[in-house]
Amino acid sequence: MNVKLILAALMLGAIGLTYFFMDRSPALERARRAEVGAEDEWASRTVWACDRRKMVIVEGVRSDEKIPPARAQQVADVLQDLMRYCNEEITARISTDARITIAANGKVYEHYVVGGPLPIVKARFGDPTEREKKIWKAELDKLVTEGDRLFHSDELGTNGVACAMCHPNAANTHPETYPKFQTQLKEVALLRDMVNWCILNPLEGKQLDHADPRMKALEAYMLAARAGKALEAGKH
Amino acid sequence: MISFRVRTSARWVCAAALLLASNAQATDLELPVPEGVFPPEIPAENQLTREKVDLGRTLYFDTRLSTDGTVGCVTCHDPRSGFADGRRKPTSAGVGGAVGARNAPTVLNAAFLASQFWDGRAATLEEQAVQPLINSIEHGFADKDAVVARIRELPEYAPLFEKAFGGPEITIERAGQAIASFERTLISLDAPIDRFLKGDTAALSEPARRGWELFNGKARCNTCHGHVDVLPLFTDDDFHNIGVGIAGIDFDTIARKAVDAVVAGASIDELAISNEKASALGRFLVTREPRHMGAFKTSQLRNIALTAPYMHDGSEATLADVIEYYDIGGNPNAYLDGGMRPLGLTAQEKADLVALLESFTSDDLERFEDLKKLAP
Amino acid sequence: MYQNDMTRKEIEFALAERSKEDERTLRGLENCDRRNFLRVSLKFAGMAAAASIIQPHTFQLVNVVHAAEDGAQPELAFRFAYVSDTHLYARGMTHRFAKAALKAVEDVNALDPQPDFVLFGGDLAQLGRPDELALGQQILKELKAPVRMMVGEHDWYLDLGEKWKEMFGPDFYSFDYKGIHFVTLNSVVEKDFWTAKGYTPEQRMAIVSGLDDNRQSPFEVGEPQRQWLSKDLAKIDKKTPIVVFSHSPLYKLYKNWNFWTDDAEQVQQILQPFETVSVIHGHTHQLLTHRIGNIHFHGMLSTAWPWPYAPEGLPELTVQMSRSDPFNQLDGCGNGTIDVRKNGRVDKRYNLWTRNPRVVTASELASGSLTGLGGYKGPSY
Repeated sequence: MNVKLILAALMLGAIGLTYFFMDRSPALERARRAEVGAEDEWASRTVWACDRRKMVIVEGVRSDEKIPPARAQQVADVLQDLMRYCNEEITARISTDARITIAANGKVYEHYVVGGPLPIVKARFGDPTEREKKIWKAELDKLVTEGDRLFHSDELGTNGVACAMCHPNAANTHPETYPKFQTQLKEVALLRDMVNWCILNPLEGKQLDHADPRMKALEAYMLAARAGKALEAGKH
Repeated sequence: MISFRVRTSARWVCAAALLLASNAQATDLELPVPEGVFPPEIPAENQLTREKVDLGRTLYFDTRLSTDGTVGCVTCHDPRSGFADGRRKPTSAGVGGAVGARNAPTVLNAAFLASQFWDGRAATLEEQAVQPLINSIEHGFADKDAVVARIRELPEYAPLFEKAFGGPEITIERAGQAIASFERTLISLDAPIDRFLKGDTAALSEPARRGWELFNGKARCNTCHGHVDVLPLFTDDDFHNIGVGIAGIDFDTIARKAVDAVVAGASIDELAISNEKASALGRFLVTREPRHMGAFKTSQLRNIALTAPYMHDGSEATLADVIEYYDIGGNPNAYLDGGMRPLGLTAQEKADLVALLESFTSDDLERFEDLKKLAP
Repeated sequence: MYQNDMTRKEIEFALAERSKEDERTLRGLENCDRRNFLRVSLKFAGMAAAASIIQPHTFQLVNVVHAAEDGAQPELAFRFAYVSDTHLYARGMTHRFAKAALKAVEDVNALDPQPDFVLFGGDLAQLGRPDELALGQQILKELKAPVRMMVGEHDWYLDLGEKWKEMFGPDFYSFDYKGIHFVTLNSVVEKDFWTAKGYTPEQRMAIVSGLDDNRQSPFEVGEPQRQWLSKDLAKIDKKTPIVVFSHSPLYKLYKNWNFWTDDAEQVQQILQPFETVSVIHGHTHQLLTHRIGNIHFHGMLSTAWPWPYAPEGLPELTVQMSRSDPFNQLDGCGNGTIDVRKNGRVDKRYNLWTRNPRVVTASELASGSLTGLGGYKGPSY
């Protein structure tokens, strides 16, 4: 009986300690507070977002006090807004006069307004703007369309055969299965190797360089046509 | 009769002494398979032992294992001719000089193949070894019992069988197992092409290098004769009708007759070797599937320069003739493989392909010098 | 004594997925004399062929005909052959499509006995050009047996059928032969998609020739032909077997590739009252089998190239051919014959070049026994 209790207690203790130290090591927290200029630990309350990366320091509220509703709502609004920046570590400080200071990416921004843009966005690669996305898609569509045209034309071969004759809508090309041992080539092939083999054999044409824009276009078209299919390298 | 035996016995004693004395034996139980290559499949019931290999070798070179004493395995699979037929006629001949319908393939590296014979009718070397013994054209024996009776007449075999199989019983199956064991030691995978593929560009001459590009490109060889690292035999182990020897062959009529014959009990082995027309049916005779009509095994290409003439009926005398044959797209017939087509090769390209094929000849064939001395 | 050339293992495997009745059939093969073997093997050959589990003994087909004389199944009334979807370019007789078409002609000419007639299944030309049609006509003239022509979309949309009708006659018609009423339809009619866009005839033809080109309209038979069909069939007794030749399948399989007839239901309605109806269609370039009520549908092989199976809509009864090998220009291609039985039902024989032939019999379709074969699934495309 005793042994069980002791073990349980130890386990809980271990979990608690882990939890405590995970993202909340005191030293780390102090460093982040320093970034936003919230030195005074006694007269402020810290609230963490569920991703354990964003923290809001509310000033003018003692750490053992409940945050008044209006200010609590403000805290929630700020956290919600900051959640836009996935995976970012951001520290916010709400001063007693409701000014919000943000520290992110090693930089400090005063005068942050909820819902407003943060300069950190423009510095992050993985987070394109809508405008950028439009540009990128237009360029891709251009290449895919060119690939579509080549795929359906007879200009790659000399005998009038087009890729689309055996592969309507790029059916049965299975670009998602490469690399795999391609029995016609007797070696492991990538998609472009097979494209070239088909150009030489059923189409009786001249093979393309792997870096040829036409080769890129063909590959782009096939991958676009098979978008969403699971990768299954080696599947025949 | 008695003097006959004494004369030949002396030779066997010499042979045995020679082999005991030599060091470089192709009989090491460690088969000389290079790293990264799948070893030959060995049936569980015929594990490789030195004793079996010795017995097998003795049987292989023994021309007394034929009705008229002139034919041994060595007769058509001679180490002096790349383990193929030294006669250099289109097809091989057996007892009494009887000429058969097929061109004996090489035994060298045959251990790696998925099936034996031009039509794949034997799945293993064991199954292959016994069929020529009871073929009327080849070794000439009427049946298994006749073969066993002949072996029993030869006193040196009893102890060899005893040593190899742990018992005195002589059966044709055991003979086959022994011969197969010996054949498994006939491995040679060290040719210039192998070194080239491992990165030594200088291993091939310039024409041969061009030939390799053609082999994998314009000449369309690699789809059937492709090289794979784990089984570098240059064969897809499949059967294709490439239109060889179809002149005057009415497939449908002959096929019907042959099927009736086989269903009534005729031996496929006998039909394939002794009957030219039935022989032309190829794999169809074995599987009776229409897609196999006139289809023959894709030959392995190792040491191909040593094993002229070429094709199942020996109809192409030289490698240049073979390339020429493919260049025209084979002989049209109702069952011609759709992969055959005119290639449009230039004279230079054809020569380059021949140069390439010559680079498939192994560099280490002197390992088999001792075996050449055993040939009659 | 005929021997069963299947190994015990193969029989066991086949049995593992079969019904009790099939089990008995298969066991019957193991120890039987000639008569029983033939009678029993007929059914098995068809089943095994359909399941593509065990390749049929080729000359079982010869034996099958003999078995019919034993009364095992309805007697053969007559046989006709087909050559379909040749898609010829006018680039001489050595072009791969021309060579393949000639091969099909040679196959049919080698048949002994000769078929009663040969159906051409549509898409003679690739781009509907007069020189392509002329080349096709020249090749088909080599056939010894009489030829019945059917039009495909590749023949039609350069000049909307002018050249075709001039060379080959009406694009829809009917005829009676040995008690069967044959109807040939032009089922590749498309609603006008070109005038509004101002396409030239060449552009229109190029669009229609793209299987996956959705700028074209779906195929249909159309109101005028449906009316003609009703009138034509009005004089025919409901017991008379009907065989319909159509380029599009007369049912709805996959709209994207026009494996589709838009007014299929209406056409089927006109055909439904007849007891025995078989549709032989082109366009799909593959093994394809379907049944709707009492109507059997069989696709024809192309001589030029095989289509992959559509991503959806494949009828359950279809046992697919496996993916073709692009090294081999004949793989997945071929021609075939259709056996018309005395009861008006048809057995479809696919003469696949480079593969074993496949027979799909009417009795299997009618009994639905093909679906009972554990739903053999081919590869996904």
